[in-house]
Amino acid sequence: MEHKRIAKLLAVIWSIVAVLPLFFGSTNFIMHILIMCLIWSVVASCWDLIMGFAGIFSFGQVAFFVIGAYASAIITAKFGIPPIFAVFLAGVIAAGIGILVGLPCLKLKGAYIALVTFAVHMILEPVLKGGIGRAIGTGGSRGILTIQPMNIFGYTFTSSEPVPYFYLMLFVAVICSGIILAVIKSHWGTAFLALKDAEEFASCLGVSAFKYKLMVFALTSFLTGVIGGFYAHYVGMLSTRMLGIDLFVTLMVILVIGGVGKFPGAIIGAFITIAINEMLSPLGSFRPITLGAMVVILVLLLPDGIVGMFEKIFLKKKKVRSLN
Amino acid sequence: MLIEIMDVIISGLINGSVYALMAVGLTLIYGVSKAFNFAYGSFYSMGGYIAFLLFGVAYFKNYLVVFCLAAPVLLVFGFFIEKLLVAPLRKRDDWEIKVMMITLGLALFLDNSYQVVFGARMKSLPSILEGAFEVGDFILSYQDVVIFVLSIGGILLFRWFLNNTRTGMSVRAVAQNPAGAQIVGIPKEFVFAATFAISTVMVGMGGILLAQKYFVTPGGGWNILIKAWVITAFGGMGSIKGGLYAAFIVGMLEAFVGWQFGMNWTLIALFAVLLTTLAIRPQGLMGKWG
Repeated sequence: MEHKRIAKLLAVIWSIVAVLPLFFGSTNFIMHILIMCLIWSVVASCWDLIMGFAGIFSFGQVAFFVIGAYASAIITAKFGIPPIFAVFLAGVIAAGIGILVGLPCLKLKGAYIALVTFAVHMILEPVLKGGIGRAIGTGGSRGILTIQPMNIFGYTFTSSEPVPYFYLMLFVAVICSGIILAVIKSHWGTAFLALKDAEEFASCLGVSAFKYKLMVFALTSFLTGVIGGFYAHYVGMLSTRMLGIDLFVTLMVILVIGGVGKFPGAIIGAFITIAINEMLSPLGSFRPITLGAMVVILVLLLPDGIVGMFEKIFLKKKKVRSLN
Repeated sequence: MLIEIMDVIISGLINGSVYALMAVGLTLIYGVSKAFNFAYGSFYSMGGYIAFLLFGVAYFKNYLVVFCLAAPVLLVFGFFIEKLLVAPLRKRDDWEIKVMMITLGLALFLDNSYQVVFGARMKSLPSILEGAFEVGDFILSYQDVVIFVLSIGGILLFRWFLNNTRTGMSVRAVAQNPAGAQIVGIPKEFVFAATFAISTVMVGMGGILLAQKYFVTPGGGWNILIKAWVITAFGGMGSIKGGLYAAFIVGMLEAFVGWQFGMNWTLIALFAVLLTTLAIRPQGLMGKWG
């Protein structure tokens, strides 16, 4: 898709989202869901950037999210740093770990990268629960039960009043999507695509795989870590339950519905998926079954996601017009 | 002390042999069709649950009958899953990631279906052979011996199949050169589906064998998927020999780390070894790029 069209689509999406509190502002439950949608839309967009655009099968996005959340919570509790700065420190920590994970991945291909990054995800739980984690202050298997709420210049955001926090998150999400769009549009984005499509050829032309691959790891894990910090300060408690397969699959459904490599798709996918997920909750234990079946059917029927589908319809119309 | 070490080595050998059976299945699909199957762990649980169902029926109290009935069921199941879910995706450019997604969805679907149908409580299977060798303090149960013999037998049978039957040879041909195989008239699509089906049988058999020792739970397959995956990458994706060595190394490593440091550390140690290996040899112990 052209960059201008992505920008237009983003503007439309965010302005629609921005007026939603006018209708739902009084219902805390729906506002909470909307905040979660914003958070997951950022995480999913980052995943889309690394997987869809750069073509690196990174399966560690949830791990970076959890690292960011824990880091921010621990930094505020231990060093008394205000949450708004701690969130960025958490992002830096996540980016550091992202680069460390990216280093072995530089030499690897396809499913190997998926394994190494997924390994980070799998190791994180025993580490956070075990002796090392307890020494840092993760609270072991109990988790962290009290996290300072976010406050900016003396104004405290509480989860009982979600509307201000919703706008804060919207602000963050708009900035993150702006960054991602800028990256896709810039020289970096072209380099990512070149490395994805023909790595050898691209490196012959002087595109450094080393530099750009580490960059995409650092950038996506930074943004994911930051949003993880915002999540921690909003929810107020953390445990390793987030590392379960549920969240991972939800994120994957978001990408499937939105379309892999169709950038604003992940954002649309997040809103649709979280809404469907909440609507399915009366089904109880049948909910994950439906979710799984949905992934299977959607990958088969809508392989490019909703954005891909609209693109197809739109482009077909264009062709017909040009024929006339 | 000596007895303990002997116990650890034996448990490493037995786990290693079953891991080998399952890792060979995973490496087979990857080697032949370059598809990665995320639902592999769920097929493992499926083996366990099929055996559990068969043991619930009054007449079948025999493992031989269970194996003979479970194998065709798994074979047909695997064949149709490949034909219905994986094959349609193959035409696309980004089919690798799509296959990962669809099998992940399938895994979620299957695992939660088990939970609804069989309940979250763990199910146990009767032991295949009661009794044990006893030499002084040293005890070796017949069950462990049978598990070891059957998994090694399964791998040997599979090797015989690859080397001596027509289907097996065409599987090898497609793995070496898909385009060339098609030119000489080997039905590529059928071979892809057949390898998927065979790997399903292998992991399902592994599930039945290990279920006697470790129970069957709805989400129990994930652990197995991770291990089979680590072994496959460690030994080299697509290399069956490498997978065999890696499986025994991993089995031993797990047994010794679990014995010395506790079970929490086994996964960490496993990944540490894997990462070091991949840093030095990105293609794994015996793998080739391509």
